[in-house]
Amino acid sequence: MPELTVITGGTERKITFPGGLPLRKILEGAGLLVRSGCTGNGACGLCLVKVEKGNDGNLTKNERLLLSASQINEHIRMACQMAPQGDLSIRIIDEGAKSAWRELPQESGRPITAKSGQGTGTASPGKTFGLAVDLGTTHISFSVWDMAQGKRVFGRAGLNPQSRFGSDIITRLTAASESTDNASVMGRLPLEAINGALADGCAENGLHPADIRHARFVGNTSMLALLTGSSPAALLRPDQWTRPFDCATANAPVFAAALGIHYHASVVAVQPFAGFVGSDLLAGVLATGLMSAPGSLLIDFGTNSEMALWDGTTLWVTSAAGGPAFDGYGIRCGMPAGPGAIFRASRRLSGGGVDFHVTGGVRARGICGSGLVDLIASLCETGELAANGKFTGGITSYAVQDEDPAICLYKPDVDKFQRAKAAIGAGVRILLEMAGINTGQLNRVCVCGDFGRNLNVANAQRIGLLPYVMPGKVEICGNTALAGCEDVLLSLRKAQELEQIRKRASIVNLSRAPRFEDFFLDGLYLMPMPAGDP
Amino acid sequence: MDKLITAILDGDSAMAVSQARQLNASGLSPEKIIIEGVEAAMSALDTKCTLEDFNLLEIMLAGRAVMEVTKLFWPSGAVKDSAKGTVVIAALEGDVHDLGKNILKMVLTGKGYNVVDCGKDCPLQKLADTAAAGRPLAVGLSGLITTVIPVVRQVKGALAARGLDNVKVFAGGAALKQSTPGMLNVDFVAESAFDVLRFLSGLGNGLG
Repeated sequence: MPELTVITGGTERKITFPGGLPLRKILEGAGLLVRSGCTGNGACGLCLVKVEKGNDGNLTKNERLLLSASQINEHIRMACQMAPQGDLSIRIIDEGAKSAWRELPQESGRPITAKSGQGTGTASPGKTFGLAVDLGTTHISFSVWDMAQGKRVFGRAGLNPQSRFGSDIITRLTAASESTDNASVMGRLPLEAINGALADGCAENGLHPADIRHARFVGNTSMLALLTGSSPAALLRPDQWTRPFDCATANAPVFAAALGIHYHASVVAVQPFAGFVGSDLLAGVLATGLMSAPGSLLIDFGTNSEMALWDGTTLWVTSAAGGPAFDGYGIRCGMPAGPGAIFRASRRLSGGGVDFHVTGGVRARGICGSGLVDLIASLCETGELAANGKFTGGITSYAVQDEDPAICLYKPDVDKFQRAKAAIGAGVRILLEMAGINTGQLNRVCVCGDFGRNLNVANAQRIGLLPYVMPGKVEICGNTALAGCEDVLLSLRKAQELEQIRKRASIVNLSRAPRFEDFFLDGLYLMPMPAGDP
Repeated sequence: MDKLITAILDGDSAMAVSQARQLNASGLSPEKIIIEGVEAAMSALDTKCTLEDFNLLEIMLAGRAVMEVTKLFWPSGAVKDSAKGTVVIAALEGDVHDLGKNILKMVLTGKGYNVVDCGKDCPLQKLADTAAAGRPLAVGLSGLITTVIPVVRQVKGALAARGLDNVKVFAGGAALKQSTPGMLNVDFVAESAFDVLRFLSGLGNGLG
């Protein structure tokens, strides 16, 4: 059989393989991961490898479309598109998401000391611990609580390892519906990842995972369906999207074993609201106390952004798939928030150029979502970017940092951002329309999700990402899905409150809303959202 | 005519309509205005909209301007008696995303095709019945969700059952464009709406 040599970090690995198999499959079979955002059908163009030696065959149609001329010159190929027949030597360009867990930021989730009057529910005396998990498409966050004292012991945030089956929900559901193997691997991956991080965190904090006797999961419906194996294929059918969807945790002992927690632990996936509105949104509504005053809007930014509007009688909920631009994915110079990310930027008042702030005090490697909002708003303000997303003065890009590495905002990046923003804008305006209120009647705008953490509200309003309300009415709330999950874990009263929220909610299907396309078109413009009647 | 082309490329619907009205008042036929103005603008947009320089807003605005100009001459929105022929398009059952289909509709209308839009979440039978009534040159399918692939594969059979064996079928959209025509059982898989234009012009209009 032919032999494949893979060069990673100065070492070489040799793998024999049957000719004709896609390179990506050969690599995955040997436990070598390549970055990917699709199921390996050539859609994402991320699984890049450099061919060092050997015959790599002809470029496919997808490669000609997605690779640049200079990449082709350098013998860069997409691993899913080439099927080597003979000996080959390659270098993996990007190894993809390793589930590197980091400490959960202190401000994530619920306040870390006990709320007054807590302990009404499941807490029992002695050393009983609980686990709260927010299972997101891109990220997983969890925290471990001392149930009796209502204190957080530790928390971790990491990437969802399912991303190797695709970065978006549709691709993952498709992969799961195509093969039961895929489906069972996808169900297991998050649990294995949490298991590892949980064991580490427990060891560091002097407790044993088996001391954990309660676990609660919230997440979007697709993540919960994949986790619990509740017919993910059904979620691809539009008729399921607005119906209640059952994701019962059928086999708690199996889950407990996979997580490494107490074998009699109660493991509960908080039921999603419907096919495309998950329990993460319900948890967010709970954690923000959204229903305490009418005219309250919640936007949970993510790859799939979810929104809720309370008008005093009905909680209008929806979700809009705007793409992963807010997480820094899909943008050429984009990166997730973290060390090396430009998270804030402002145009210098004189002399040209942009001042920027980098997370971790290191040299900039890319721009995360909040930095992108600042950069685009600044360029709109100076007139270098027009409201329609075109650069003015004959340029097609804007260089933020010239080299090492070059960071440059290109027109297609602006386009992707415009689309993500338009999906949110259309969602917000349709919810306002359903509730029959206008922007002026909004009393609270809760900005949720990691993206919001460093968001400059004035800039976000200037380009129409948030409705134009008095800045004091905008609250940056962080990960409210995890906070709500923690509430449910710690308090029976809160768990009951979440069920009350469910009863008041009414789902809005944006794709059936007659004015969606008009609002979407409006939302593509980099300008404030209209303030008048919806 | 240049002013009309500029107005369309700028996405200025009101200006495009007023220019088209003036040209018509000065004696130019609607057909000539479509061919020399609107189609020229579409060709310019095609060259601009490479992967490097794509902007959805730009295309949607230009598309709206085209639709407004078309509506001025043919209020029902369709180019009647189009010399180029009819194209029936749909997002099939199971797919409620039709932004791509709508762009295709605008581009094809702008190029003078009579477009019959079956809408989104369209049942296969409805598509085939519409095609049987419209005697189209081709049937176009747009798909964002890969689960529509099994239905896409049945389209040719449903057309053949109505005696429409010679109607060409093409597919495009995020879920379909990675596939080969063989996998989808269609005649052509398009990268973009403009790619469809090249395919259709290669067919001629013998069936129109």
